[in-house]
Amino acid sequence: MFCDKAHTLIKELDRNRDILSPYNNDLVTEIGKEITTLIEQNQIDAQTNESRNSAGVSLIPTIRVRHAAIHRNLRCILAYHYNRLNSLRTMRWEFGSILPVEIKANLSTAESNWFAKYSSMLAKYMRSLGEDGGVNLGIDMRPPKALYIEVRCMVDYGRFELSDGSVLLLKKNSRHYLPRCECEELIRQGVFQHIVN
Amino acid sequence: MEDSINIEDFDNLDNEENEETEEVPLTAAEVIELMEEAWRNEKFAPDILPNKSEVVDCLLGQISYMEENLRNLKTADFQKSIHQLEVDRLRFLVSSYLRQRLQKIEAYTFIILRQEEQRLEQNEELYLTNSELEFARSYKESIEQHFDDILSFWPGLPSDEWRNDPVVPNINSFVFLKSKNEIEGVVIDDGTEEEEDLVDFKTGSQLIISYNSVANLVRSGEVQLI
Repeated sequence: MFCDKAHTLIKELDRNRDILSPYNNDLVTEIGKEITTLIEQNQIDAQTNESRNSAGVSLIPTIRVRHAAIHRNLRCILAYHYNRLNSLRTMRWEFGSILPVEIKANLSTAESNWFAKYSSMLAKYMRSLGEDGGVNLGIDMRPPKALYIEVRCMVDYGRFELSDGSVLLLKKNSRHYLPRCECEELIRQGVFQHIVN
Repeated sequence: MEDSINIEDFDNLDNEENEETEEVPLTAAEVIELMEEAWRNEKFAPDILPNKSEVVDCLLGQISYMEENLRNLKTADFQKSIHQLEVDRLRFLVSSYLRQRLQKIEAYTFIILRQEEQRLEQNEELYLTNSELEFARSYKESIEQHFDDILSFWPGLPSDEWRNDPVVPNINSFVFLKSKNEIEGVVIDDGTEEEEDLVDFKTGSQLIISYNSVANLVRSGEVQLI
């Protein structure tokens, strides 16, 4: 059957809505091959005399079916990649410009390149905002409720300097009461856990 | 003495505002109000709205001014924490607004850029700021390059198809709005060519209506999305 592989690809995408599954290079290559084969067959048939085979039956319906299959395959491939880019984009906002290793392993080379490009685009845009040195849109993601929040440190992070110059020693399982804007980024990186009473 | 500084902050701001934007003198509170309005509109409108870069720049300037003042206060000062929270709220407001716009630009890059070019040709006012436009262009380029990479297994493939069929915002989606003025004879666009229904808005009245019927009113600021 035509487009079976494309269908599998989309199903895979659909099953992993919230996570980024490993890039399915094999399947994408195979779909590419299927498209190439279909195009070649179509070209041969289209050149056959008056598009009729030896039995005198018109080849045009066959060509049309193949054509539809080609388009469907293309659409599926593009949808697969587009949706992956979208979740990558969401991750840029979640993790900042450095992706966790386990996610990085799931990307194709082209996707890593795109991510780097997207990061630099975004950084450039943020720098251009305002008059003095830009605005970091990556913080203040949620409306602030309180100025200070209680956090638990999940790893041995070491020294951490606050913007007022005081230095904290972050040890595993230590609890801190810190300004929200200082620790927002570390919470997203998983260094801190926000303790909600 | 410390106490009086904070209260003066706002007064100083007002004066500064007057100096900066001579044509429209605005107080700090008015700027914030404008920003909130723009933020709500941007949040609820399905389509991108004209940029409010003056308001954003104004508020950003204000925020850094207030932060500067806060830094001069003693850490133990009770007022400091109150004002810091206020500044944080303002920062959230601005960043959320800008993020909202970026999201729309990214989702509808192709169609937004096309509309911008049309506006440029007709010498109309552009919706995007310069940096947003630059961002949109490089975003579009990166997507195109990524797609071309994928389809490179067969050179000369009809890859233009996705370009002609971009993701478009659903401008027929329904929005809640509050009218700020008396507006008469708003045409309800239901997508058919049949007789047009008209509706009159009263000041302060609240309605649910499809976005494309009121898009112009939202842009001109006569209604407020809620």
